[in-house]
Amino acid sequence: MTAREEILGDVGRALGRTAWDKASIAAEARTLLEAPDAIRPSLPTPSAVESFLQRVVGPKVGATVDRVSSLAGLPGAVARFLAEKKLDTKVALQPTASFTSLDWARAGVMLHNEINEGVVVGLARWGIAETGSLVFHSAADTPILFNFLPAVNIVAVHAHTIVPHMEDYATAACSVGSAPRNACLITGASGTTDIEGSLVKGAHGPRDLHIVLVDDAATAGSLEPGT
Amino acid sequence: MHAASQSFMDRSKAALSNPNLKVAIERTAGTAERKRSTAIADFSEFAATRERGRRIKDHVIANLDYYLKEFERNALASGAKVYWARTSDEACRIAIDICKRAGAKRVTRSKSMLGEEIGLPNALLEAGIERVETDLAEHIIQLAGETPSHIVWPAMHKTREDVAALFKAKHNPPPESGDVADLVRSARRQLREKFLSSDVGISGANFLIADTGALCTVTNEGNAELTTTPPRTHIVTAGFEKLVPSIDHAFVLLRLLVRSATGGDFTQYTTFHCGPKRKGDADGPDDFHIVLVDNGRTRMLANGPKEMLRCIRCGACMNHCVVYRQIGGHAYGSTYPGPMGSVLTPVLDGLAQSRDLPHACTLNGKCEEVCPVEIPLPSLLRGWRDRSWREGLEPRLMRAGIGGWAFLARHPALYHLGTIFAVKWMRLFRKGGWIRSMPFAGGWTEYRNFPAPARTTFMQAYKAHRSENSDDCA
Repeated sequence: MTAREEILGDVGRALGRTAWDKASIAAEARTLLEAPDAIRPSLPTPSAVESFLQRVVGPKVGATVDRVSSLAGLPGAVARFLAEKKLDTKVALQPTASFTSLDWARAGVMLHNEINEGVVVGLARWGIAETGSLVFHSAADTPILFNFLPAVNIVAVHAHTIVPHMEDYATAACSVGSAPRNACLITGASGTTDIEGSLVKGAHGPRDLHIVLVDDAATAGSLEPGT
Repeated sequence: MHAASQSFMDRSKAALSNPNLKVAIERTAGTAERKRSTAIADFSEFAATRERGRRIKDHVIANLDYYLKEFERNALASGAKVYWARTSDEACRIAIDICKRAGAKRVTRSKSMLGEEIGLPNALLEAGIERVETDLAEHIIQLAGETPSHIVWPAMHKTREDVAALFKAKHNPPPESGDVADLVRSARRQLREKFLSSDVGISGANFLIADTGALCTVTNEGNAELTTTPPRTHIVTAGFEKLVPSIDHAFVLLRLLVRSATGGDFTQYTTFHCGPKRKGDADGPDDFHIVLVDNGRTRMLANGPKEMLRCIRCGACMNHCVVYRQIGGHAYGSTYPGPMGSVLTPVLDGLAQSRDLPHACTLNGKCEEVCPVEIPLPSLLRGWRDRSWREGLEPRLMRAGIGGWAFLARHPALYHLGTIFAVKWMRLFRKGGWIRSMPFAGGWTEYRNFPAPARTTFMQAYKAHRSENSDDCA
């Protein structure tokens, strides 16, 4: 008998059954998710975008934020951040199609391919207001290491992709197809409290996270969440 | 391992006489306790979420056969290979075989208590494969040649001064200073190149998502993704109590896990891993292997303690345990310390080896109070004590003592007489209301004073009170 058969046999004996009704298990699992608002934090404002912005600049996420009205404003926002932080003007771009048409040179931002310990600019697929998370799905234009190897991570996120809660992200992700190899929910810069519980940023991944909200859907505050 | 030949009492004594240890534990566990309390005060839905979390875990345990098969089916469909291991040896053998087939010389590992439980670090050593621990705390204890003393902060027993001395000796170049930020930067420098040159990445799983076959890892450092993305092969070892029906069920438990563990609301990196790299993906492993580990879990399901299968490994019980806070994790001599460890270790190592652990508890109930999935830890500890008594594992002196006490308790007149003499005798040793030392009480008075008893026993006082008020009572 294989280990698999032995384990499943033991589990079945312990539960006193050899068969089950899939539909009733699924129904019970669904009831465990009922009344979701009773089992998750309420957002500080009715707007998912405003709640997201409040959350990410709060102490638990500790990111910095800029707002631009369209993606065309991203290079300028990146240049502003680099100048403010007195960083090298060279950045690596996530290989996403929407970045290539932007005028980086005009904003004074130089491009290169070095992501290790450098500054990168990425595009999150969704934002989650509840946690202040940025979501990335691994793909040809979304290398996972892109968010982990740099020293400074600049992430653009479209306002219309910001959803209120984690469950709303799961629903949105489900509608775009099957699960990717990696779905990363990134919530702040890399940190550690492993030495005496004191927080230090830049453990293995980025030490700084700068978020650029691309406010191109509608005016913030009247946004319908989860669209 | 901390000398298995030593007894729990010896290890506890050594821990209590180490003042440095107390400082180290208080700095981290004290902070964790305060931060948890704030995080929960800020989450008014916590009680309802906790109840739901407990029900989700119970639902999975009651349908474990279904969820195991469901997870396997979906993981296979995602392109993962799934293995089943009855024991820790079997699990290690499977993982080592995969490493060997991959021609692995260097393996990076992202912190996993299951990996510690099955002895994977040692198995890699025996197989001659270089193991690089990537979690900062695991890196510290690997350099020190030690084992974890806490399930969330494995290096909780080390002060920053200890870590500074260790890195100065082992890091090349050494850290710029003993400042915590410099120590972290030094570890980053040491590990960066190792992440990128590893042949196999090994991780655990915080959740196994049955309806997709994915698993979830949570870290604040980002070391899980750096461990599992660059190598050609990703191996996961996971206990099958980590199953949840869907990602939404995992979200409910994540809200509980992070607040209970660190007092954060959400970890910096929460990542779902589903199958190997897809066609066209920019990075990711070519092979993805999941080892589902039993190692006593089916026994827990059949003979108890079944409730322990709810555990999501947050560590809140140990952060709030008065015993853990005094002696630290190593004194327990087991993979899992503290209250949850004292319940789990008898399952993993056998009660005869570990009967001291369920006794190392004041039953103050704090662990149950803070447990995010309502595990009745004090009751489970009492259950082990009871079983230890019934199986005749208690030492002879203890049995004789309890036997003597039981005899007196059944003979109240003798009992009262005994207490009258005991009170008179104890009062001979009092100084200013306290007893600093007394024959046969060294085990207590070595570490703290004992309050001197009142002049009369409770029964004497009660009788006197009754006769004074006899008219009222008539």
